[in-house]
Amino acid sequence: MRALGPGSVSSFLKVILDVFYWVLWAAAVGLGIAALAVLLLSFKPDLLGHNINIDKIHISGPWLVPAAAATLAALAGYVGGAIVIVGRLRRIFRTLIIGDPFHPDNVRRLRVISLTLAILEIGRYAAAGVSKVVTGGQIPLGGGVNLTTWFAVLVILVLAEVFREGARLRREAELTI
Amino acid sequence: MPIRVRLDRLLLDRRMSLTELADRVGVTIANLSILKTGKARAIRFSTLDALCRELDCQPGDLVGFEPGPPEDPGDDLEE
Repeated sequence: MRALGPGSVSSFLKVILDVFYWVLWAAAVGLGIAALAVLLLSFKPDLLGHNINIDKIHISGPWLVPAAAATLAALAGYVGGAIVIVGRLRRIFRTLIIGDPFHPDNVRRLRVISLTLAILEIGRYAAAGVSKVVTGGQIPLGGGVNLTTWFAVLVILVLAEVFREGARLRREAELTI
Repeated sequence: MPIRVRLDRLLLDRRMSLTELADRVGVTIANLSILKTGKARAIRFSTLDALCRELDCQPGDLVGFEPGPPEDPGDDLEE
């Protein structure tokens, strides 16, 4: 089975990424509507209920509206980051389908993916820290260091350099008469 | 780049067009244009052989060294 070109594994993965990309956009729109609803309901908190139970997290009392708003904002940020990553991956896979993996733009795309992953991970620590400080640990969020994510960030950065070298060699070949 | 290609002067001396030379050496006009404008990174011996044969010249007539700052090999990539 071919890895590059039309009808290859890349083409199949591109379809999956396309679907995932639009699912993420739908989620972003849903979160936007939910955030708007929370903002509107904050003027009449009685309609929002008195507590929220998500898995082991129990939120009630004065934290209800701010916690819901903050959760939606954090989720929106996370989905936004995922859209950036999947969007760049789609463009990279588009170049793989046309058989041009060392397109110079892929270097920048891989760097953006790596940077976005790092920002999302740091954002997770920040959200956990803020939650602990503000609510006194009432809303427990996992803020532990995820070594897999940092490993992925470094691997993608290295891959970006590999692609940069590939793009340079491609350019050299193009300009060899 | 300190290496200068003097293809335009040779063509002028021989009253030959770029299209005619491209036909004779079997290189596309686009590639010859890259060579003529000094954008080429490298030239194959086979291309040099064909050019020298058709232009009836020596490789030194086609390319020359003019001192100047060396070019960064990756400076035409992105960023």
